[in-house]
Amino acid sequence: MATNHIVPFVRASVSIFRDMLDLEVRSGETEEEGDSFVSRGFTVIIGFTGGWKGRFFLDMGGETAMHVASTLTGESYSTFAEEEVLLSGAELGNIISGNAITDINNNNPGLNLRLTPPSVFTGEGLTMFNVRLSSCSVLLQTDAGPVKINVAVEEGNK
Amino acid sequence: MDIKYINPFINGLLNVCTMLGMKELKRTGLSKREKLQTEHDVNVIIGLVGGLKGNVVLSMHEATACHIASTMMGGMPVPQFDLMPKSAICELANMVAGNSVSNLQEIGSLVDITPPTLISGKNMVSMISLVETLVIQFIGAEGSFDLNIALE
Repeated sequence: MATNHIVPFVRASVSIFRDMLDLEVRSGETEEEGDSFVSRGFTVIIGFTGGWKGRFFLDMGGETAMHVASTLTGESYSTFAEEEVLLSGAELGNIISGNAITDINNNNPGLNLRLTPPSVFTGEGLTMFNVRLSSCSVLLQTDAGPVKINVAVEEGNK
Repeated sequence: MDIKYINPFINGLLNVCTMLGMKELKRTGLSKREKLQTEHDVNVIIGLVGGLKGNVVLSMHEATACHIASTMMGGMPVPQFDLMPKSAICELANMVAGNSVSNLQEIGSLVDITPPTLISGKNMVSMISLVETLVIQFIGAEGSFDLNIALE
């Protein structure tokens, strides 16, 4: 898969981590994933359709998710399975993918991508699997811990 | 969430499952999802965009997933939950969503679906869309499973 699909998502993540969460992204490395993806424990999933069909993952550890939620709400949490932590993660994913999609649509007139609402999954040994989609990841190092973003795209015929 | 949008999904699921040879499939319940915790370790999520916006999640136990995959392949034994049953369950979800979407079109709602993503793991907590989720329970010879529908 061409790695250029993920670039707008990386750009959106870096700017939103900085502006909204006050977290500098120190480095990012690309990683090719096969059809399975192993989570760090907390994953936000957002699908998109239009000229490209696919989905976006924002994946992080539980500690990072709690840090993000605390920054957004000003409260502290003891477990990442709390509703507000899940909601904060979903909102962060929504903002990042919203920005990225706007960027992609502006640069590709007629592509007309649209997002599905975010869903959040947490658990032990989470593995994601896609049929017929290969994906690409970028691992971002932040002060709150590593955050991985992953984009899988199946290009349509539009 | 309008209840008229729920029947196309129930019919879609029953159509597809019957076509694939899953006999004795019955709907056992319909309720609002009250907790985030899910005891099912296999979840397949498909997003909906267009006339309806939301997510549909098919969730079940690993054993049920293996049994369903086995039935889909004409009774071939599926001892382990590896790539093959994963792929089969994704395909099932895709067919169910596709069928449901064409049922929705008949009542005048144009919906586009995203490719399926299967999520498996233990002690899962999930939040599907950010809205009230409806859970429809089914039971068949392969075991029981849920269809979660979250529409905005």
